[in-house]
Amino acid sequence: MASSISTVPHRAGLGHRLWQSRIDYLFLVPGMVIFGLFILYPLFASQWFSLLNWSGFDANQAFVGFANYAELLQDKYFWDAFARSFIFTLSTVPAQMAVSLVFAIILNNKLLRMSALFRTLIFLPVVTPVAIIGIVMTIMLSPFNGPVNIGLLDAGLINRAIDFLGDPNLVLWTLAGIFVWKWVGVTMVYWLAALQTVPAELYEAAKLDGVKGWQVTFFIVLPMITPFAIVIALISAIGALNVFPLIQSMTQGGPYFASEVMEVYIFRNAFATLNGAVPRLGYASAAGVFFGLAIMVLTILQIFAVRYLRSREKPNGA
Amino acid sequence: MKRFPGSGISRRSFLAGSTALGAIALSGIVPSLAQEFNIADPIAPIEADGPFRWIDSGDQKAVFYKAFFKKYGEDRGIEVVYDGLPWNEINTVLPLGVRNNTAQDAFCLPLNLPPAFAVKEGWVQPLDDYIPDLAKWKEGFPAGAFLEGINEFDGKTYGLPYTSARVTSAHILFNRKYMQDAGFDPETTALDWDTFREAARKITENSKGRAYGLIMGGAQVNRWADITRTLAQMAGRACGDTSIGTGIDFRTGELVFDSDEFVGAVELLLALNADGSIFPGIMGLNAPQARALVPQGAAGMILQGPWNIPQWERENPDFDFGIAPPPAPAGTTGTYVIAGSLASSANTMFINAKAKNPQIAADVFHYLGTDQGQTDWGNVVGPSDPPIFPSAQANSTMSERSKAALAMFQAVIRIGPNPFARNPALSEVAKAYVEPTPSLAQTVQGLFTGQASGIKEQLTTLKSATNTALDAAFKAAKDAGADVSRDELVFANWQPERDYVGADYKAL
Repeated sequence: MASSISTVPHRAGLGHRLWQSRIDYLFLVPGMVIFGLFILYPLFASQWFSLLNWSGFDANQAFVGFANYAELLQDKYFWDAFARSFIFTLSTVPAQMAVSLVFAIILNNKLLRMSALFRTLIFLPVVTPVAIIGIVMTIMLSPFNGPVNIGLLDAGLINRAIDFLGDPNLVLWTLAGIFVWKWVGVTMVYWLAALQTVPAELYEAAKLDGVKGWQVTFFIVLPMITPFAIVIALISAIGALNVFPLIQSMTQGGPYFASEVMEVYIFRNAFATLNGAVPRLGYASAAGVFFGLAIMVLTILQIFAVRYLRSREKPNGA
Repeated sequence: MKRFPGSGISRRSFLAGSTALGAIALSGIVPSLAQEFNIADPIAPIEADGPFRWIDSGDQKAVFYKAFFKKYGEDRGIEVVYDGLPWNEINTVLPLGVRNNTAQDAFCLPLNLPPAFAVKEGWVQPLDDYIPDLAKWKEGFPAGAFLEGINEFDGKTYGLPYTSARVTSAHILFNRKYMQDAGFDPETTALDWDTFREAARKITENSKGRAYGLIMGGAQVNRWADITRTLAQMAGRACGDTSIGTGIDFRTGELVFDSDEFVGAVELLLALNADGSIFPGIMGLNAPQARALVPQGAAGMILQGPWNIPQWERENPDFDFGIAPPPAPAGTTGTYVIAGSLASSANTMFINAKAKNPQIAADVFHYLGTDQGQTDWGNVVGPSDPPIFPSAQANSTMSERSKAALAMFQAVIRIGPNPFARNPALSEVAKAYVEPTPSLAQTVQGLFTGQASGIKEQLTTLKSATNTALDAAFKAAKDAGADVSRDELVFANWQPERDYVGADYKAL
């Protein structure tokens, strides 16, 4: 009898298992400390700050509950910035994904000469500091003597210089274009990685069956890499919501709020008040938390989309 | 190779130069200056506890301190760490440093912070225990440099008011050739609003689209308020310029944003734009970028501060430019730009209450408050942040043009009342004050771009919103126990044509 009991597998206690793997956990400590300091603490601190009437200066942190959130909901400039952030994301992500996919498909062709050079050139803006891009683009797009306007005028495409950054109807789209140009290289790398997963045999089989080039792309390659598109879209969307340095260096949210996205709105309230007004870190934190929750909802929706697509791939549950 | 007309430079040169300027601006690199500093013996025995640390807002000040602290450190045998940071970083870093006990030994306050607040919160400590014969040292400063509620509290002295606030950020700097070709000489006959507009139009016309009459840093939103307020003040609408006093006529305590003078100032800007006299693309330029384009021949005039002068003289020695007061409407006389205090509050330095080296900070403060230190300061910084001693302004080696600018400021700038000097408890109101959105700067920018319409209506809305915000701030301060009243924004004895001095506060 005793022997039959002893045949039941014995699972060690949690403490014992932790001790057994203590070296592994030891190596995790530095990463966890950094994660705690720079991710977890700001995450929870901002949620606490959002419940305070606090400038960020003084020790007096008046607890106001959800008053900051209530004020936010009635703040026209908050909603305008909120909408602009999503307009910016919804316009840049598809454009960035489409352009980068075209680049990736072309550069994935092993017969293409100097593909490494083209990849480098496309990737170059990614590693260029945003502030430098801001300055250079301001000069490039100047309606006074910017090369872009001079080129358009010389080509006869326009008869009057365009104020790309000063026209409230154009500024957001101009910034979106620059953003896509800067980051398209990263998305291209993601697509190139995705394209590596398409088995070479499929290309060969398609060739034997007489499938033409564009048909291979549309009917074989794209369906194979579609699941990656969801992940790439998610990463690109998060990137498009982190556009603060570009806008701050080029327009500071102007003219007259026309390019003020959420990050610029938060910065303005937290640090960049005018005429001696004391900043509102609590209010800005509430805007940040609200916006973070909105992004979280977006992310969760994308997770469901990924699961849905994967389930379509495996209809038999294989 | 294409050349930009009028400037005589190629597009390639322009791009290279502009990019280099931008890179320099970003990196904070400043040219080193050969400079003699005459540093006296220490005012008291010095024993350093680690490096002595100093922080301020940099700019031209950094040029002085980088050279001075090198010499000072060698003389005293100590290590000095100087940080010149932009205001937005100071606003963030300094409060955190104070809370974490890592703040510098000597610092300026965040731009938005009334000194009374820093004293009350225990951020700073008085100079009394560190500077021997403090009263005698203070006598060297011009009357009005030290004011109870600004840098003195309960009979103790806290701040070093070593630079003058008698400076405007919106006077005319112009290209002499363009102006001469347009038929004007602002150095002989000051421009009024009409001739200012006409000069801008003619400069644009003469250049046939190769240059424009006026340029501004339109992307730097505070410039719209600075220029509008200055123009309105030159039109005769005297009012405060900072914090809870912005836009208030202290004679009545009423906001004047919707006055005829403010409306007229905005109309002038819109008229210049309608004339086609304003440089296209200003919404993509901040103030330094706009400044950099003037010596390149892109514009005939700019409304900015005297900090342009030493920079252009140093970087563009061949550029022939003149200075003139901000324009006033034709026939207007005896109008002034109003500054909030005699000493620049932004540059006023304080000793950290928990400084490791307070005696060294006091030693540097003492030097900067002597004739020698003030003159040394004026030699390097020039009219950007002019020394507060009139003698140092006269004796320093700054250019004649710089001295002319300071003389012009003496003529057109007056020191107005400062509510915090009347009642330091008003700092509680400033703390609670939430500036309305859109502010004056944003409103004018919106009117200029056409995103908002109706000048009078917009400025009336701004006035109403600001009144509401002020009332709310006073209520919040009172609820928090502060003894304050909005009547304290009324200075019935203020006469804008003369400086408001300590005796005037006592006469209230």
